[in-house]
Amino acid sequence: MAQERRRRRRRRSEFAFVLKLIITVALVIFIFEGRLIYTMITFDSSENHASVETEEETETEETQSETAACVVTDSMYLAGLADAGISSDGTGAETETEPLTEHDTVSNPDSAAIVREQAEAVDDSYFSDAVFIGDSRMEGFRNTSGIKEGTFFTSVGMSLSSMTSKEIISDGEDMITVAAALSGSTYGKIYVMLGANDLGEYSWSEFKSGFISVMNRFQEIQPDAILYVCSCVYAEEDKVDTGDYINNDNVDSLNSVLLEVCEEEGYYYLDLNEVLSDGYGSLIEDASTDGVHLSAEYCKVMLDYLKTHYVVTGTDDEAADTETESETAEADEE
Amino acid sequence: MKKMTAILCAATAALMLTACGAKKEETVSIEITDLAEELLETVTSDSLSETSESLIPSIYYLDEDAVASAVAYASSGATSCEVAVIESADTDDVETVEEKLQSRVDSQTELYSSYNQSEAARLDTAIIKSAGVYTVLCVCDDTDAAEEILEAYGF
Repeated sequence: MAQERRRRRRRRSEFAFVLKLIITVALVIFIFEGRLIYTMITFDSSENHASVETEEETETEETQSETAACVVTDSMYLAGLADAGISSDGTGAETETEPLTEHDTVSNPDSAAIVREQAEAVDDSYFSDAVFIGDSRMEGFRNTSGIKEGTFFTSVGMSLSSMTSKEIISDGEDMITVAAALSGSTYGKIYVMLGANDLGEYSWSEFKSGFISVMNRFQEIQPDAILYVCSCVYAEEDKVDTGDYINNDNVDSLNSVLLEVCEEEGYYYLDLNEVLSDGYGSLIEDASTDGVHLSAEYCKVMLDYLKTHYVVTGTDDEAADTETESETAEADEE
Repeated sequence: MKKMTAILCAATAALMLTACGAKKEETVSIEITDLAEELLETVTSDSLSETSESLIPSIYYLDEDAVASAVAYASSGATSCEVAVIESADTDDVETVEEKLQSRVDSQTELYSSYNQSEAARLDTAIIKSAGVYTVLCVCDDTDAAEEILEAYGF
């Protein structure tokens, strides 16, 4: 009997020991891994909560975009632009983003006035008898393209009217007109870059007659020079903050006029947008910091374009023939 | 006797000062590319690019023979910022170089006045300074920093 009691006591004490051990282990686990256990327990519910929040946010965004679309449609309707890709069926408004379409950089791609790419590029010496006339874009080209030769009559803000009549070229002492500067020496090539400051200034017919008059005057001063007319380079409209008039529709219209002048008057048109357009009627993205003036990288692209787009005249051919003949004669003598 | 000693001391001191001044002018020697690159850091509103050395005389209306070497950084046309460091062939040419650089600033100011007023205002703070045979033109955003750099180079 006494033995039975001892056994029971022993069992109880063993049970108590095991129980204490379990409690101790549980406490230790709770203390050190409590955070993990809490996370495991609450994970499922938080996931559910998150999915509910996302659904709510999506619903809110949809409501906001519907509201915005309604506002856009209303304002465009009021502005008389309801036919610009927005439709209304009475139950709500839908906006349709116009897909970008490929855009020709010239109005008449087959024009004989457009200077075509030559098989061989010239080097900088080709520009040794060239004069470059233009606005701040041309000045930027001089400054950053790395061109080593050429004379530059550039002036920030140069426009057709200022080019015609104002004293905007500095000779180091006085300011003189472009025509006066051009008269100071003999040049074999004249590159003219104009237009950015003329966009929206005149009617196109007025611009055309003024431009013809200026080009003819230049040719009169330099009768033997090849006259290259550079196209107006596209702008990156989103970056332009100098006025709405600088937009690519205006650039296209201006370039059509420039090409027409070249066709009618026998000048040469350089389609710079061939290498500076993004293909959709705008300047290549990030080719300019302010949307208008080309960065150095793209001024170099323009220089490479000029080196591969030039006119071979009869004089050049004759010179080449003479050179070949003299080389042949020398070889025969040897 | 004391008067004589004082006069002699004063004369010696004056001669020493004169000699120091002359010596400073003669010994200014600058790596123009390093100076231009440091000044370039004072232009924060534009990213300037190096202009071909062969075009620098025509841009600044300088006689080619009067220029020993030159380096210039200029804008894409977006701002009036520019940095030019000209080493004249002779100290006699320095004054003319300064005048021509001033002409450049004046003509740019005139043109920017009717085109972009803020750029015209920037040109009002243009720095033109010479040391020895070197002349600097700096049209930048941080003129104080530019002045410090020039001082460190002996301008």
